[in-house]
Amino acid sequence: MTDKKQITFRIRRFDPDTDSIPHWDSYALNVPEGMTVLEALHQIKAEQEPSLAWRSSCRMGVCGSCGMYINNLPMLACQTQVLHLNTDIVTVAPLPNYENIKDLVPNLEPLIEKHAAIKPFIIHTNSKEIDEPTGEFIQTPEERESISQFTHCIKCGLCLAACPTVATDPFFLGPQALAQAYRYTGDNRDNGLHDRLEAIDVFHGPYQCHMAGACSQACPKGVDPAFAIQLLKRTLVLDSIGFGKKKSKVAKVMPLADVVKQIEEFAPPPRTVGN
Amino acid sequence: MSETRKWSLHILVIPIIAVLLGMHLALMHYAPVFYGMSVDKAREYSTMIERGKSVAQFVIYILLLIAGLYHGLYGLRGILRELPLTPTMVKVVDLGILLLGLAIFALGTYVTWWTFNAPLGG
Repeated sequence: MTDKKQITFRIRRFDPDTDSIPHWDSYALNVPEGMTVLEALHQIKAEQEPSLAWRSSCRMGVCGSCGMYINNLPMLACQTQVLHLNTDIVTVAPLPNYENIKDLVPNLEPLIEKHAAIKPFIIHTNSKEIDEPTGEFIQTPEERESISQFTHCIKCGLCLAACPTVATDPFFLGPQALAQAYRYTGDNRDNGLHDRLEAIDVFHGPYQCHMAGACSQACPKGVDPAFAIQLLKRTLVLDSIGFGKKKSKVAKVMPLADVVKQIEEFAPPPRTVGN
Repeated sequence: MSETRKWSLHILVIPIIAVLLGMHLALMHYAPVFYGMSVDKAREYSTMIERGKSVAQFVIYILLLIAGLYHGLYGLRGILRELPLTPTMVKVVDLGILLLGLAIFALGTYVTWWTFNAPLGG
């Protein structure tokens, strides 16, 4: 049997139906090694406070639902082990920089709206090729590597909670949306920079970043949004003076049937287009 | 002008300001080092008027005025626009900053031009 340690959880509570302002409640729990904050919340809800509300889903740091302000830092509750915090009192509050819906539930609508505004999808000049593809777009390992870390974003919103600029300027697009703007404009298959300018080439865009770097520290997936914002600035500036990255209009692989003939000993990946 | 161009210009004028401000410092504050002249002498009215008649100085100060105004007022606009403003207030801030810049530019240009044309001895 593993040793347990008694930990007091100070949890910020707020019910819009009954409370005018939030308040703090404390719950004591015997915490074994390995228990996460999310598991602790589940145990508190099961044994002590059935009305406690939060948002979570996968329990494995993939869905990004359980972002919370744990000991005054934005973290995923499912990835944070209680005893690793090394405090006898663990404070849990909803993510800052968001409206508080109830208890530990933030309103993530601004995150989603800003994310949608930058058109987070591949925009290709040849719309016919997008609608009726005749081949697959090429992306070399090097090209993929240049944007790889930015594709790991799980939209948990911790970066916006950590961002001091978002705290003072709610219109700031924020690290998540700006990093995704770079993730797509930096993608060799994308030609959509000019389609995104209306959303990103604005006062509340990348130039409003104060370069605190808190977003990069908060990201649970190791993404560096602060770096992405600098890369996005470079992309925008080079484009504005006519030195934008030239991308091939149609970058397609040769028909896979020909590849099969050339490389007999290796099985090619299954066709995704043309079947 | 797009925000990217405004911001790029804001960054671009930094080295220009550094060079022109360096020239200003050399003229006004390091005169003993660069011109073998005491600081008091460098700041005398007659010396300044005499120096102000130089075309090079006229150009340097007008450029420094433009670069400094743009850089400073773009920064001021950034600070003010971070406040929770309504769309109307945003327009007021942008217009106010533009008018303030034009007014200071007009005053600075007038002073520099007056110095350029002033008779020696005041």
